Amino acid sequence: MDDIEAKIIENRNIVSNYFLLKLKLSKPMGEIKPGQFVMLKVPDGDVFLRRPFSIYDYSKGTITIMYRVVGKGTQSLCRAGKKEKVFVLGPLGNGFTLIKRDAYVVIAGGIGIAGVHLLIKSLNDKARVFYGTSGKEELAAIKDIMSFNPVIATLDGSQGFKGDVIALFQKQVKSFGGKDMEIFTCGPEGMVKSLRKSMGKLKIPCQVLVEERMACGLGLCFGCVVKTVDEKEPYKRTCKEGPVFDLWQISL
Amino acid sequence: MANISLTLFRKRLKNPVMNASGTLGYSSEIEVLWGVETLGAYVTKGLSLKPHHGNPTPRVWDERYGMVNSIGLQNVGLERFFTEHFPFFRKKKTPVIINFFGFHEKEYIECARRIKPDRLIVALEMNLSCPNIKAGGIIFGKDPKMVYEIVKNVKDVTKIPLIAKLTPEVKNITEIARAAFEAGADGLTLINTMPAAIVDVKRKRIPIKGGLSGPVLKPIALRAVYECSKVVPIPIIGVGGIMNADDAVSFLMAGASAVQIGTATFVDPYTIPKVIGGIGRYLDKNGYHSMREVVGAIHD
Repeated sequence: MDDIEAKIIENRNIVSNYFLLKLKLSKPMGEIKPGQFVMLKVPDGDVFLRRPFSIYDYSKGTITIMYRVVGKGTQSLCRAGKKEKVFVLGPLGNGFTLIKRDAYVVIAGGIGIAGVHLLIKSLNDKARVFYGTSGKEELAAIKDIMSFNPVIATLDGSQGFKGDVIALFQKQVKSFGGKDMEIFTCGPEGMVKSLRKSMGKLKIPCQVLVEERMACGLGLCFGCVVKTVDEKEPYKRTCKEGPVFDLWQISL
Repeated sequence: MANISLTLFRKRLKNPVMNASGTLGYSSEIEVLWGVETLGAYVTKGLSLKPHHGNPTPRVWDERYGMVNSIGLQNVGLERFFTEHFPFFRKKKTPVIINFFGFHEKEYIECARRIKPDRLIVALEMNLSCPNIKAGGIIFGKDPKMVYEIVKNVKDVTKIPLIAKLTPEVKNITEIARAAFEAGADGLTLINTMPAAIVDVKRKRIPIKGGLSGPVLKPIALRAVYECSKVVPIPIIGVGGIMNADDAVSFLMAGASAVQIGTATFVDPYTIPKVIGGIGRYLDKNGYHSMREVVGAIHD
């Protein structure tokens, strides 16, 4: 793990407010696990703190980030041009844990795909992928993983199942017929809440990648906590103990 | 190379740079990048008699030239700190300043009483920016009488040098500094964060109220250090918005014997080692041989 100077080689609008940012690193980054993230210093003096982004993909000497413009930091980042310099601190946090199971399910909603993309690729065709979005245009964000035949839900019904991705998952969960399975998920809080509710007493093992406002990314400031069921010490750091948590251990 | 070591409260520190309380975790977190023994002294996260869970999120917010935080003093409590974390500093031979707080005077006193003198403990740093519940929630550090009272009573129960860390949100900080000194404080840390709020215009809400830190604070902190150094004869540790070695030197010249770096570490986690190197280079370049020639070098 290190703070690495990098150059923007691509910062492309995919669809609506989704962007793909590719960085050429001045030196290699440490070993990356799916679910890990980086703290990026946006090349803009008005953006003071770094911003956390899941590592969407990487190759020798490059890393890629997929982001959605949601606030000041990403607004500024989407205007950054090729060749601009940034600093990336990473890889940070604990990624997903791959336990031997009979079946793997990945459920992502919206920009949540950015957090599980690398995992889907590394599970290759071993995972059943569910993806939910508002409409078919936004499916441009998952063009890269179409070969894994994701099951799609759109809120407006413009493609695949009409409705939310959890309703779709719930309809299909029986098809896994009591298999020993593990779920990996990343998406809006509402989606994660509804996933948990949908499983009821079933309590299928599930790892969730959470997102929180961060300052340091290293566990120094205790700014990015998530509330858990641990009564002695409820607040755990997303950057240090996470960003992947056991769904059944966090309070939503 | 100039010698940047110093003696603070009769302990030898290899350089005048510390972290600000609460900005370097329990210190082991930074080990992936650099070792805690790099510091002149490590300042602990604010510790209390009992563990504190801290506040719900959002706890941090970017504010262009600084940040607002509302961590809520999350900490494992004194007891767990000493069993779980303190042995690490012994192993690393790193001097430690114990930052502590309370919401009642007796909590401060009990904290100080429980901390036993140790070769590695340079001082206790009492955070006076907490509300005094018994006095209706007024901040201890805002009232010179309350400051005098609590510093004196804490001082009575400990042999360890005592530093009062002051809030800048006061009418006249020199008056508070004087009260702390007269009550027996051995040093001052100036300044804590400034109370602040963020407005979310779209949602018409205040997402966070908390302490403002970062470069936006630097001139305020410099003035507090400069003016207090004129009225109290005890060492001052300067903190507030230091981003680089030049900033650190400006605090030393204004009268600080040492400096603390907080928010800058979040922007660049190597700020502390860079500042330590930079102070040495500054001294060399300008023909200074020791820290003593720089501290308080400003003349009117």
